[in-house]
Amino acid sequence: MLEISELRKRFAGGPDAPEGKVALDGISFAVRPGEMFGFVGANGAGKTTTMRIVMGVLQPDEGSVSWQGRPLEYIGRRRFGYMPEERGLYQKMRVAEQVEYFGRLHGMGAAAARTAAGDLLERLGLTERRGDAVEALSLGNQQRVQLAVALVHDPEVLVLDEPFSGLDPIAVDALATVLQERCRGGVPVIFSSHQLELVERLCDSVGIVSAGRMVASGTVGDLRAAENRTLRVVVRDPAPGWADGLPGTVTVTGDRHVLLTTDGDDQEILRRAMKAGQVEHFGAEQPTLTEIFKEAVA
Amino acid sequence: MNSVILVARREITTHIRTKAFVIGLLITAVLVGAVAFAPKILGGPDSYKIGAVNSQELPLKAAAPDAEFEWRTFPDEAAAKKAVLDGDVDAALVNNTKVLTDGEIDSQLGVLLQSTNRELKLGAAGVSIPPLQMVSVGADTRYQSARTGIAVVLVLVLFMLIIGQVMMVAMGVVEEKGSRIVEILLTSVRPWQLLAGKIIGLGALGLINLVTILVVGVSASVVSGIAVDFPPGLPGIVAGVLLWFVLGYAFFATLAAALSSLVSRQEEVSNVMSPLTMLIMVTYFGAFYATTDPTGTLAKVASLVPPFSSMVMPVRMAAADVPLWEIGLSTVLMLLAVAGVLSFGAKVYERAVLRTGARIKLGDVLRAK
Ligand SMILES: Nc1ncnc2c1ncn2[C@@H]1O[C@H](COP(=O)(O)OP(=O)(O)OP(=O)(O)O)[C@@H](O)[C@H]1O
Ligand SMILES: [Mg+2]
Repeated sequence: MLEISELRKRFAGGPDAPEGKVALDGISFAVRPGEMFGFVGANGAGKTTTMRIVMGVLQPDEGSVSWQGRPLEYIGRRRFGYMPEERGLYQKMRVAEQVEYFGRLHGMGAAAARTAAGDLLERLGLTERRGDAVEALSLGNQQRVQLAVALVHDPEVLVLDEPFSGLDPIAVDALATVLQERCRGGVPVIFSSHQLELVERLCDSVGIVSAGRMVASGTVGDLRAAENRTLRVVVRDPAPGWADGLPGTVTVTGDRHVLLTTDGDDQEILRRAMKAGQVEHFGAEQPTLTEIFKEAVA
Repeated sequence: MNSVILVARREITTHIRTKAFVIGLLITAVLVGAVAFAPKILGGPDSYKIGAVNSQELPLKAAAPDAEFEWRTFPDEAAAKKAVLDGDVDAALVNNTKVLTDGEIDSQLGVLLQSTNRELKLGAAGVSIPPLQMVSVGADTRYQSARTGIAVVLVLVLFMLIIGQVMMVAMGVVEEKGSRIVEILLTSVRPWQLLAGKIIGLGALGLINLVTILVVGVSASVVSGIAVDFPPGLPGIVAGVLLWFVLGYAFFATLAAALSSLVSRQEEVSNVMSPLTMLIMVTYFGAFYATTDPTGTLAKVASLVPPFSSMVMPVRMAAADVPLWEIGLSTVLMLLAVAGVLSFGAKVYERAVLRTGARIKLGDVLRAK
């Protein structure tokens, strides 16, 4: 299990902000083997800072990261796969050579690195570009190379900072499949993303950060359950003023009236709606992750 | 250690394939070859054309083995006179008694003709004179000009190679830092491994260059014939050059890596490197001065003090005889300096290379933690 506990990090401020900037304010969470953890939060919430601390690129002021019950050190991190937020590749180096090189730096033998690089490039649709210099690739394709670099050495843990951004739908699916495979093989995967539908679809659990704190975390189901259920009623062509005195809000589009409410007696609401007009829809809404997210960071 | 080799090998293979490297190597090879042939093309040994009218060719070659002589026979004095005036021949011997010249004769040729003629006539009369024996009681100066020449070429080669490779180290460090490749690299290698691999790899490229220059230079000299003037200690000089290149490069390259790790953009490299480029320039000027006065006090002192010794000592060794203890002392001092710079440089690099953004002050890096 990868455990992140009570991380705190303050960045030194410039002359105009001498008090500095608190990026992480005691963030804690854990990812189990075989779990896909979606890390979401507004811009500047602290996702990247957390991941960089996990990867040892930054030192925390307080708090710790442990893997399999032991504090995470350089030796452990060598078996991690990391995709940094700011992508970095040797621009003049050829694609396949580059992926192979990083595999070898992680301790793979020459033959194993070559095979692994070839397989991954194939999976990510880059086989035809394997001999090209990275700089000759489009941004999205460079991103695929970056992913191959993070995955080539069959890492024990994957830490990916916005791996899906900039990819076309085909590449998103290819990457999702690769990640799910790794996950099924027992690898904990953390990735950050602003594409919440994707997170909702892929992740076993989600952590929502806001201003350096974890404001909500758990499975998407847990988060939904914690949220107040919203009742949604659609009535066609109702008598005017039908909803007077009922809780919630009514929006009108054409001849349809939509009532959304989180409280009140649902049976009473149904009776009123049926009396007023033709009820087209009556039911509890499943909040989307986007709604949960907006609620959580509000 | 394996990681160091991997990093070094990447540096070598990526650079060796570039056009810039191949072309650079070819140009240096051609230039060095040209230098070796230049004396022959420009000056060469003295050569004379001499006309003969009704005369016996004098054994001039025996008297002056270094010079070349070409004899041409003319039917009569008028033809010889015309050839002298036209500059076809330098002088013409007529009837074994008279030499026609255009104005005053080249003094060496004049003396040669006179003495050979005298010797020939005396020999014919049965008088033989043993030649004077020349014995030098001063220092052996036979090779002095060759040694100075070699030293001058060496200074240039060492300077160009060291500054070139050192700049490549700096650019490479900033490339990795600025593009954030270090963020991934440092999850799989230690900072010192990355640093060592880069310095070793680029140093190996420098050595390839240097060896090419030495091989081309020496073989071209042998072919062109100027090698006969080379001093007997040439292998020692070559070995010294290689050793001092490695030491000097290690010193300057480590400092370059440390300094350049303070910045994140290529445009800032030359700025942050300027103190170091100054130091290399000063070393270069010191070494250049040493070629003109290799036994002077300044050269002696500078050849012991690191990092100046890295260029001044090989130059002094080429230009003059240096006592063994001085070479030993200077090597030990330079090794100590390299060790010191390595530990300092690795510390700065390790602390600075992940701090991207604005230029970092050296003081801040040293104070941190
Ligand atoms: N090197 C730095 N120096 C100063 N402040 C920093 C530095 N890095 C991050 N911060 C601050 O720390 C906070 C968290 O930043 P972080 O990059 O972790 O956010 P994020 O969640 O990854 O945002 P995004 O979704 O935009 O990528 C921000 O307020 C940011 O300004
Ligand atoms: Mg981020």
